[in-house]
Amino acid sequence: MKFRLASVAVAALALVASATTAQAHIIASRLGDFYTGALHPLTDLQDLILWTAIGVLAGSLGAARGRWLVPVFPLGLLTGLVLADGLGFVSTRPAIDAAMILVLGLLLVAALRIPASLLCAIAFGLAVMRGAANASDLAPEANRLLFAAGLACAGYAAITLTMAVTLAFRRADAGPSTSWRGIAIRAFGGWIAAIGLMMVGFALAS
Amino acid sequence: MSSRAVSLLIVLAVLALAQPAFAHEQAGVGGGLVSGLLHPLTGMDHLIAMVAVGIWGAQLGAPAIWVLPITFPLVMAFGGVLGVLKIPLPMPEVVIALSALVLGVAVALRLRLPFAAAAVVVAVFAIFHGHAHGAELPGSANPLAYGVGFVVATGLLHLCGIAIGTLTRWPTGERAIQGLGAVIAVLGCYFLAQSLGVAA
Repeated sequence: MKFRLASVAVAALALVASATTAQAHIIASRLGDFYTGALHPLTDLQDLILWTAIGVLAGSLGAARGRWLVPVFPLGLLTGLVLADGLGFVSTRPAIDAAMILVLGLLLVAALRIPASLLCAIAFGLAVMRGAANASDLAPEANRLLFAAGLACAGYAAITLTMAVTLAFRRADAGPSTSWRGIAIRAFGGWIAAIGLMMVGFALAS
Repeated sequence: MSSRAVSLLIVLAVLALAQPAFAHEQAGVGGGLVSGLLHPLTGMDHLIAMVAVGIWGAQLGAPAIWVLPITFPLVMAFGGVLGVLKIPLPMPEVVIALSALVLGVAVALRLRLPFAAAAVVVAVFAIFHGHAHGAELPGSANPLAYGVGFVVATGLLHLCGIAIGTLTRWPTGERAIQGLGAVIAVLGCYFLAQSLGVAA
């Protein structure tokens, strides 16, 4: 038994010692740029906040209105990517991002029942800006098509899952916005708006 | 050699060979987030005031108990903006200390002000607390991450206060809360004296 354990230990050590450094952002790999596009939003705190906020807002408005974002949001990301990569469109101004965070937060706080058309317009505009922002980190040798596909898939997954979670949360208690679940969502919006307001201040101060 | 020793040896070998991974890490995000999260917790005067706000909101009941967690972060963020923009406020340390005293007394006495009056009182204190947080932004921190941490930490403190405030449903809980309010008021007196230079 001891000899067997020792043998296993030696084999494990040999295996570990033979390991080489892993390369992040593998360019030579066939699908590397797809994963780069899909995971890139996770590297930016603004993307995390904005995507989450728009998803919660859409989910809080109900499935009938929110479902439109399933195609609209990924299409917006692709549009922004194309505009930035092809036409040099730049939308990485901190003040704009901060204002968008503030607006989304205030909409959640107020629990306004905005129409689906307005929701889609906001989501599309947001997606265009974030798509352009993500495109700014594209390496010259990157495969544009794979990166775009990854980004669009990430947008689809993020927005759909966030809306679904919000809907499931609200559906358990379909009461007014003063029910505790409605209050929780509005409180979340208050936090988002507060973050946006702070960012507006930082933008003004810089 | 025992199996545990062998396992430990393997773990140590793996740890020794591990290398850090870097992938598009935004500068100062981790530090900013931690700084923002810890900032409301490291100042005792801020901490007790935030908890007291939640408790008082719970004591006041609807609509204070649900308006508070929704709007307070926003008002405090406004104060934070004033701090970031270096717009001075009169005697910030005194007012912050006074907030703990006033809110502690309100909790201890179960002070039932009209909602509008209570909202004004809390809003004034929120602005001063936010101003202090905004003015003390660490230079190396990512501002967005700092803001996220600061807002989340403050919101969680309010939720703690509200959770504590729900103890008012029971007579014993009510007494405990009033006692807690008295403690907060005493600490507020101490911080007030400290800010005025009376206490060391």
